[in-house]
Amino acid sequence: MKTTTNFKAAIILSVMASIMVACSSNKKPIATDTATEVAGSEVDFKIEKSGAQLWGEVCNRCHIAPSPADYNDTDWETISLHMRVRANLTEEEITKIESFLKSAN
Amino acid sequence: MTLIILGLGSSALAQTYNTFEPSKTQFMLRGYGHTGFEYLDTGGEQESTFLGATFAPIFLYKHSDKLMFEAELEFELEGNELKTGLEYADVMYVLNKHMTVRAGKFLLPFGTFMERLHPAWINRLPSRPLGFGHDGIAPASDIGVELRGAFDLGGPKLNYAVYVTNGPRIKDGSEEPEEAGMLDFGYYEDVNLAKALGGRIGLLPLSDSSMEWGISAYMTNSTGAEDSDYKDVGAFLWALDLSYVKSITPLQGVVDIKAQYNSSNVDTATYYEIEDGISEPYSFDNQSSSFYTQLSYRPIMSGSDFMKQLEFVGRYSDFNAPEGAEWEEKSTQYAFGLNYWLSWRSVVKFSYQTTKMEGGHDSDGTTRTNGLFVHWAIGF
Repeated sequence: MKTTTNFKAAIILSVMASIMVACSSNKKPIATDTATEVAGSEVDFKIEKSGAQLWGEVCNRCHIAPSPADYNDTDWETISLHMRVRANLTEEEITKIESFLKSAN
Repeated sequence: MTLIILGLGSSALAQTYNTFEPSKTQFMLRGYGHTGFEYLDTGGEQESTFLGATFAPIFLYKHSDKLMFEAELEFELEGNELKTGLEYADVMYVLNKHMTVRAGKFLLPFGTFMERLHPAWINRLPSRPLGFGHDGIAPASDIGVELRGAFDLGGPKLNYAVYVTNGPRIKDGSEEPEEAGMLDFGYYEDVNLAKALGGRIGLLPLSDSSMEWGISAYMTNSTGAEDSDYKDVGAFLWALDLSYVKSITPLQGVVDIKAQYNSSNVDTATYYEIEDGISEPYSFDNQSSSFYTQLSYRPIMSGSDFMKQLEFVGRYSDFNAPEGAEWEEKSTQYAFGLNYWLSWRSVVKFSYQTTKMEGGHDSDGTTRTNGLFVHWAIGF
């Protein structure tokens, strides 16, 4: 039984590792949205997403994106730290989302 | 005199104003609650009831930009009794941009349903999929320490979590013979020296983060008490999860797909059943699995304000408990729902659910349960 289980686990890990390697290439995202801005100072051309765009993309993965007006700046700081850990977000994602929420409330 | 009064007044005003400045530490109360009505028909036996309100306050204490304490309590009426619970209570510290440490009782990242999707105002249906919750095979929370974080891979993103916890206790049948061999994830006291080790890796391969694949593993070398016959009974669980959320213009709305497969493998052991006063040993291949997939659609680009608030949901789930166990079971469930969103965190859910169960506790036949549900959930 353990052999079968370990075999299944090995297959799953191999598939995931392959996907991770394939997707961790340096291919840059293509600008398709007007809500993006270009970090022109970088030699390596890179498209930076705005906080509003990340708010729409990231929050909706689990629940409907919150209304910025529902909380004040102080509350958003607390909620952002909570959500950064709960949803395992990158520092860049949560920093930009928090800035957007505080600017739009 | 007038100047003195004005001076004192302006000083008092300044002090009052100062009290509204954000403090260095911040405390916040959030949470959610839900209530509803259920009608169930189980093999011709009908029952209906309004459900007592469930209240789950969440306490957030932000000590600094890196240090936070969070806790969630649960208050629920079950029959005439108030059931209370501690969903999680942990302290966390951001070590660097890619790593946070948590310690205490926390939700386990075994798949995504229990950690991210189970709260009533987030879950698109009133019920949980088969395999989660009471007598489920997916661990929900435990006491221990965890490292987690995320990386931007230049478009795709990767997140991870690894943890060590007390681990589950195996039910040996001495208290509930019909559940012998089942893992008890709700028994938080450590019964042995072994610890459970687990983790999850999530990959978001698309630059718009619309898709996430996750793989989780959870293992322990011992689930029995240190001085029991079940000390060396280990367990290995794994899960695969998928999430896809995308606003699709031709469909004029948002499509949300979720799925998770859970597998539980517990080492074979001997249990005892008592028949006519005689203890009879028996054993079985202790493997269980469960699966669910859910599709929901919100027509947020519709021209009608009413339609924009609607959401259509369908979910399939199944659960297979080990053959030969007293709790042997094969169940399948279909659930269909129509939700009306009052706001981004308040929803009224109407759903129909039909469950076919073969076996189960003290049952050898097939049971079909049909249910109608109306639930109202609100996050705050």
